[in-house]
Amino acid sequence: MTGFQSALDFGQMEERLRRLTTALTTRAAIAQTPKQLIWTLNKARLYRYLPVVPAEKRHRVPLLLVFALMNRPDILDLRPGHSFVEFMVNRGFDVYLLDWGCPGLEDRDLKFDDYTLEYMPRAIRKLKVISESQEFSLLGWCIGAILTTSYAALRPDDGLRNLILLTAPLDFSNKDAITFAKWTDPRYFDVEKILAAFGNMPPEMIEYGAKALKPVENYIGNYIRLWDNLDNPQIVEAWHAMHTWVTDNIPMAGATFRQLIVDLYQNNRLMQGTWELRGECVDVRRIRASLLTVIAEGDHITPACQSESIHRMAGSGDKELFRSPGGHIGIMAGSGASTQTWPRIDAWLGKRSA
Amino acid sequence: MGDKPKGNPSASDRPLDPLEAWRNMRDATLDAWSKAMIEAVNTEAYAGTTGAMLDASLSASAPIREALQKSMAQALQMLNLPSRADFESLAGRITNLEMHLDDIDAKLDGLRQPPHTNAKAPKRKPKPR
Repeated sequence: MTGFQSALDFGQMEERLRRLTTALTTRAAIAQTPKQLIWTLNKARLYRYLPVVPAEKRHRVPLLLVFALMNRPDILDLRPGHSFVEFMVNRGFDVYLLDWGCPGLEDRDLKFDDYTLEYMPRAIRKLKVISESQEFSLLGWCIGAILTTSYAALRPDDGLRNLILLTAPLDFSNKDAITFAKWTDPRYFDVEKILAAFGNMPPEMIEYGAKALKPVENYIGNYIRLWDNLDNPQIVEAWHAMHTWVTDNIPMAGATFRQLIVDLYQNNRLMQGTWELRGECVDVRRIRASLLTVIAEGDHITPACQSESIHRMAGSGDKELFRSPGGHIGIMAGSGASTQTWPRIDAWLGKRSA
Repeated sequence: MGDKPKGNPSASDRPLDPLEAWRNMRDATLDAWSKAMIEAVNTEAYAGTTGAMLDASLSASAPIREALQKSMAQALQMLNLPSRADFESLAGRITNLEMHLDDIDAKLDGLRQPPHTNAKAPKRKPKPR
């Protein structure tokens, strides 16, 4: 049957229409790996994924995942059979997830200071109790990498053994290469006016910002790709899961957003060594944990130049830099993630988690 | 969302499709358009224009927003209903309570488990009676 004939097959058309409607109007079942809630504070939740490998065969050092503040962490556990969390649990890691939750207006004064020096130490304390290990590994992705880097620099003696940074926006010096840095230039972008109007940074504005970096691909090409692949249930399922996650953004606490724009995007304080959290200077040279920096070669949100300098500046004796083909999200949730990025992280971390 | 799994079947697996030429042309056009747009949004002119538009909309809506907030606060007060500020204050107090509970939990955990154990906590021998 030719493609033209198949287009005229009414039974197939009905099935295509059903798949299209489902993908566009319903939410896919994502974040399905079984987990247990072990700690809460305000909106933050610490989960432990139920191990599937017997305790004697598991890696001794637990792994804590820290995702960005403005998206749900479900992307780390997108769908059964295609989930980083599921992969790591099956590889014998004791995996924990710190979910920051959805800040309300009452949280608009929360800052990086609070997340890094109030929430994270408390969650890590609980992780140590549950895992019965004084050592742990941290994986930070996107803004989560800012939080984990800051924590690693401020609390180098807290038992942090391994630090994995994924597409980490840490260095904001090369303004020409960073589109967000142009958009948030103080000449054009009045952060105080936005926060006065909304309190927190609205998720719609964050979503627009992320999509507008590649407007044709995100607003048109993405839907054409779905249309072209309606006969392929696997691709539709993958598209549906990703669409569910992409369209479920959360606000960013106002004070944190102010720090992100003013301290980091506009003044690059972290890499200049002048960023202070609760009066303590975040000096990345104090990081001693083994460091794996993962850079996405096709990243429009966090270009490679933002993650390269930490690799040079961190005080760690054991450092590795891995460049993965793919974009900001694709390196961990795209079709090639399970054959490229995940095995690399597993191999690197496995050797250092005994 | 530019990183979705692509996974198109290989050319040999696909049935003969007379619309393929049209699709190829469409994809090439979109590709060129996409590259042009990525370059366009990465300019000072785009940053300046969107910044000005955002600024103008926020300035225009500010008086309406303030008036709404004032009238809402007055209405809630007249109806003896809690305002947003009341809820925010309450939320802060609850979070402080949660932190105190977490501190107590930490102390209890400290009593249950000897600190700084890298290995699993040794099982306590039962006291002889």
